[in-house]
Amino acid sequence: MSPNDVFDLLILVLLITCALAIARMKDLAAAVILFSVYSFALCLLWVHRGAPDVAMTEAAVGAGITAVLFFYTLARTGRREK
Amino acid sequence: MRNALALVVVIVLAGLMMAGVSQLPPPGSPDGAVHRHVAAHYIDGGKEAAGAPNLVTAVLLNYRALDTYGEVVVIFAALLAVLAVGLAGHSRGPQRGADELPVSPVVDLVIRLLAPFIALFALFMILEGHVLPGGGFQGGVVLGALMILLGLVLGPRRLRRMLPTPALFWTRSVALLAFALVAVAGLALAGWLFALPEQYWLRELIIVGLELAIGIGAAFALVGFYLSLEADRHR
Amino acid sequence: MVILFAIGLYVVLTKQNLVKKIIGLNIMETAVFGLIVTSGMVTGGSPPLLGQGLEPPYASPIAHALVLTGIVVALSVTALALVLIIRVKAECGSIELDELQVDLQPLEPDQ
Repeated sequence: MSPNDVFDLLILVLLITCALAIARMKDLAAAVILFSVYSFALCLLWVHRGAPDVAMTEAAVGAGITAVLFFYTLARTGRREK
Repeated sequence: MRNALALVVVIVLAGLMMAGVSQLPPPGSPDGAVHRHVAAHYIDGGKEAAGAPNLVTAVLLNYRALDTYGEVVVIFAALLAVLAVGLAGHSRGPQRGADELPVSPVVDLVIRLLAPFIALFALFMILEGHVLPGGGFQGGVVLGALMILLGLVLGPRRLRRMLPTPALFWTRSVALLAFALVAVAGLALAGWLFALPEQYWLRELIIVGLELAIGIGAAFALVGFYLSLEADRHR
Repeated sequence: MVILFAIGLYVVLTKQNLVKKIIGLNIMETAVFGLIVTSGMVTGGSPPLLGQGLEPPYASPIAHALVLTGIVVALSVTALALVLIIRVKAECGSIELDELQVDLQPLEPDQ
């Protein structure tokens, strides 16, 4: 396995861990923060796959704006999931 | 029970998709079908044809400009829908004074210090988006994020005062209008939509103009989303 | 990528909380984007930027442009859905789907 493959695999493991944690998380605010982490990991993956434009968009949109919008929604609707 | 059923459905579906994905040609080979079709043509002639050495920008704003126009329309439509949903059925009286959330002085100072640099970076991304990675939408999102940050620090009411309604109206529509202008100008001058002039510098200018329009449009659409959610919070 | 899509789908199907469903939807979307970007990559290739001293082979710019458009649409969908969720909360007092179905009936006549 080349170092590139190891890097890919690490990021994929991180992504899947984050996704599973989001699925299990009862605290929605924590789930949103985990989604930001997930977006940043995805961003790394995309730089690695030769797509810096997509990576920049993902960092700005997925980790930034989406989280802000989610937080404002949570402020209105409560952060606990039943 | 329902969760178990859903799990079974998901696993079966995932198995089917896994089978489908394994039939795809292995990614990463430079001779794959993805790279032999139009992509090769774009890579060869994209810079001259579109006026943008960043080929992603070239594809977005020239070869697939109609798609990008659709994308701009989608943001605009989403903004309209958000505003309509936010306003419907509620009188928007003067907002109560509860809006100043206490922000930590550290956060306040850091955001105030960083704001000009973030704005500069956003502008750089927009204006250099046709050469370097980045582009109108990315820069616009950064600009929108900056305005949202300022809204957090200064309070949404001051942000709203800084952005009067006519300004919001025009900045939200500017991307749509610019795209329509370029499309119709191409149609009138050369006979097809999004035709670009012969001179390279003129092409570059049009691309930068479009990027700027998309950037401003995206930034203010995001501010619109934010202000709408924010207004909902104080009702 | 398929695993991520499956997790997202599972969240959308089983969670009763609407905000959680939207997060699941976002995960599904990123999984699809990942598949598209991966199909456009070249092992050892460089990003499709001319004039920066990068050597061919370049990754396919079409896949990247497609995904960019997709991200924008995903953001728009998310924003609209969140505002709708806030309205649901304001009108019905809950964003849990199983509670909504009970509460929705008595609201109908006077709305």
